[in-house]
Amino acid sequence: MSHEPLILDLSSDLAPVRRRNMLREGGLVLALAAAELALFQAMGVMRPDMDHMTGSPFLIWRVGSLGILAVIACVLALRSFAPTARPRKGLMLACAVAILAIVGGAFVTPDGMGERALLDRIDPARGVMCAVSIFVLSLPVALLLGALMRRAAPTQPRLSALASGIAAGACGAFVFAFCCPFNDPLYVVVWYTAGCAAVAAAARWGLPRRFRL
Amino acid sequence: MGSDFLSRLISKPASSARQPGRAQPPRTAADSWGSLMVAAQNGHGGAYRRLLAEMSEWLTRYFQRRLPPGDVDDAVQETLLAVHRRRHTYDPQYPLTPWLAAIAKNKWVDQLRSLARRPVEALSDEVAVGDHEASVVSSSVLAGLLEGLRPAQAQAILLVKVQGYSVEDASAQTGLSPSAVKMNIHRGLQRLTAIIEKTHDVA
Repeated sequence: MSHEPLILDLSSDLAPVRRRNMLREGGLVLALAAAELALFQAMGVMRPDMDHMTGSPFLIWRVGSLGILAVIACVLALRSFAPTARPRKGLMLACAVAILAIVGGAFVTPDGMGERALLDRIDPARGVMCAVSIFVLSLPVALLLGALMRRAAPTQPRLSALASGIAAGACGAFVFAFCCPFNDPLYVVVWYTAGCAAVAAAARWGLPRRFRL
Repeated sequence: MGSDFLSRLISKPASSARQPGRAQPPRTAADSWGSLMVAAQNGHGGAYRRLLAEMSEWLTRYFQRRLPPGDVDDAVQETLLAVHRRRHTYDPQYPLTPWLAAIAKNKWVDQLRSLARRPVEALSDEVAVGDHEASVVSSSVLAGLLEGLRPAQAQAILLVKVQGYSVEDASAQTGLSPSAVKMNIHRGLQRLTAIIEKTHDVA
């Protein structure tokens, strides 16, 4: 069968297109995360002892590891939107970074924190609120990545969606890290991981349904 | 700079279409496809028409080795439409063939999924079945894929889906009940889809 009629049809009303640009998309994600952070600061919900905490190993660990994870996951997600990309190795790298960050938490536990009861350290009542906050804060980035994914052509949409979820969760957690008053790495590991995992699971479940190449 | 490094570290473009022994356009054609696509992205209809015509030939050969003959044209058209809708995602820094092959593979998986969903119907003896056996059975790709299945599943798919036997005839040949033949086809196609989805090499 000849495909000539279809080819004629497609080429007859051809319009110029703006090429997909990963740097531009990365800039959009960065701008959104920065806007969230600025909004946070403007609303006055940053932790009040931020000046005092600046330079403390715990804050450097928390903000640094989340920032690195957010950057890696965002690059991975944006790269995975190309048809030729294979995000599996990148996802493994992001998981390795997350595990390293979790292990690193053991080295920044403030003195005396390790002697408290486990339930006191985890503090489920407030922890759930933290996880929910991270989920809510990650929604704008998740929606933006979903829109970018829809415009692009990922050939492994489930993995791309998972990468987007991890990126959005890490961005949300990064922003939230500046206002969270808790200084226990165990608390951070448990509830931040829960928040990010919830975002990743929601993206993995929801985004591919909105997408078809 | 940093983002470039991360990009390369995290994921690099597929080079599968460059492997020897795989379906790929001639080197000169592959080289010119990239520039034709760039012209098409800028709205050059003539270049786009030429590119699609060359692509459709390549896609026809690609799908002929991977799908039953009746599904080839549908797959080619679906792929051309996907290429049209997503042409802005082509990055001229990279060769176009892996990009096209990735989209074609996606459409191939779609076709296999729809094949698996299609009900298995017994063919009447009066209905002539075209002699596509040689082209399909001799396909090294199909043979390679079928090797990944259990022998009973591969045989059921070969008899019913490729050679066009009815389920009853296949049942008589294999000594299995008709429902077992249907089950083998269903599970075999599911497994084939899974194998193809895991396959890194696409072209």
